[in-house]
Amino acid sequence: MFMGKEQLIPIFAVLVLFIGTGSSVYVYATQGDTVIDADVITIYKQQYTIEKLFTIVEPRAFEALNYSGIALDDLIIKVGVECPTCNNYVIAGGDGYQKTVTWENMQNGLLTSDKMTVFSDLPKAFRVRDIVEIGVIEI
Amino acid sequence: MKKMLAGIIVFGSIWGFAECIIGPMLSDAGFPSGVLMTSIFAVGFMTMTRMMYKQRGMQIGMGLVAGTLKLFNPCGPCVICSGIAIMAEGVIFELIWFSMSLDLKELEIFTMKSSMGVISAYCCFVGGYIVTQILTPFFSAAGFYVIDLINFLPQILSSGLLAAIIGGFMVPIVLVLRDFDIYRVKDRVYYPITAAISLLCWTAVIVSPVLTLGL
Repeated sequence: MFMGKEQLIPIFAVLVLFIGTGSSVYVYATQGDTVIDADVITIYKQQYTIEKLFTIVEPRAFEALNYSGIALDDLIIKVGVECPTCNNYVIAGGDGYQKTVTWENMQNGLLTSDKMTVFSDLPKAFRVRDIVEIGVIEI
Repeated sequence: MKKMLAGIIVFGSIWGFAECIIGPMLSDAGFPSGVLMTSIFAVGFMTMTRMMYKQRGMQIGMGLVAGTLKLFNPCGPCVICSGIAIMAEGVIFELIWFSMSLDLKELEIFTMKSSMGVISAYCCFVGGYIVTQILTPFFSAAGFYVIDLINFLPQILSSGLLAAIIGGFMVPIVLVLRDFDIYRVKDRVYYPITAAISLLCWTAVIVSPVLTLGL
């Protein structure tokens, strides 16, 4: 009645391959449905080009990390978020990678011209590439 | 026991060396380094040591040594994340292989060897990725948000497919060497060689960022 290792292990292997293949199909299908404008970022439900953002937001540079761009905290203020300190911020990349950060993190963060976030107080895992949206969540 | 400890240090050091030196090279060349490092080096070395030393628990130790070595090397995409992922891979591999007999007599036929490779490589890669996404925020000024992980989970599960396929070939290849008995190697040869290789790996990993970054 009970299956031995000889039966269970190949079944688990097939299951693993099925999960991997199914996820790949899902990712391909959902990313294919989403039309991403290469130059546009949605911030606080409004769309901005990266060039526009670089003209209105204060520059910031992390010389030790060798990155420069615009200040994320100033960006949030300039796009009209009320009470910036009252929120967390969700930064989402085109590949679905997203990270949620605090206002304090935003004060130590910048957005580069190739749409990547860099935080001086956070690990590299928080560097979201090809950003499509910066959302605001009330705490 | 003493021989196993030396084995943990030497194979953990070689694994860590590969993660620190070969991984960034593969990444710079445009290869999926995370997938290749897990499916070839991590699963390869852990299967090899499990087969040669015939001991449980050794792979957790190797993961700790390799992960610690990675923390000494500031090169690569994310030092803390990589270190955590490597340590997690050691634990996950150990859990998967725990029920296997010490002589691995279950792995006589190709289907079983390949299946263990698929399961090990996929679970180590996906598990390591998930563990690092959960734990890395705790080492930083940001918090962990489940929604961030859930939204990216399909990509993580998808990216493990290539690791699974490579693992399905890697484990049968490594198991070709199953007749090699490490306990037949004489102590006067074994210990100096393991010590020298370990020292070489640690020196190379610690010195390489000094040379490349001018630290």
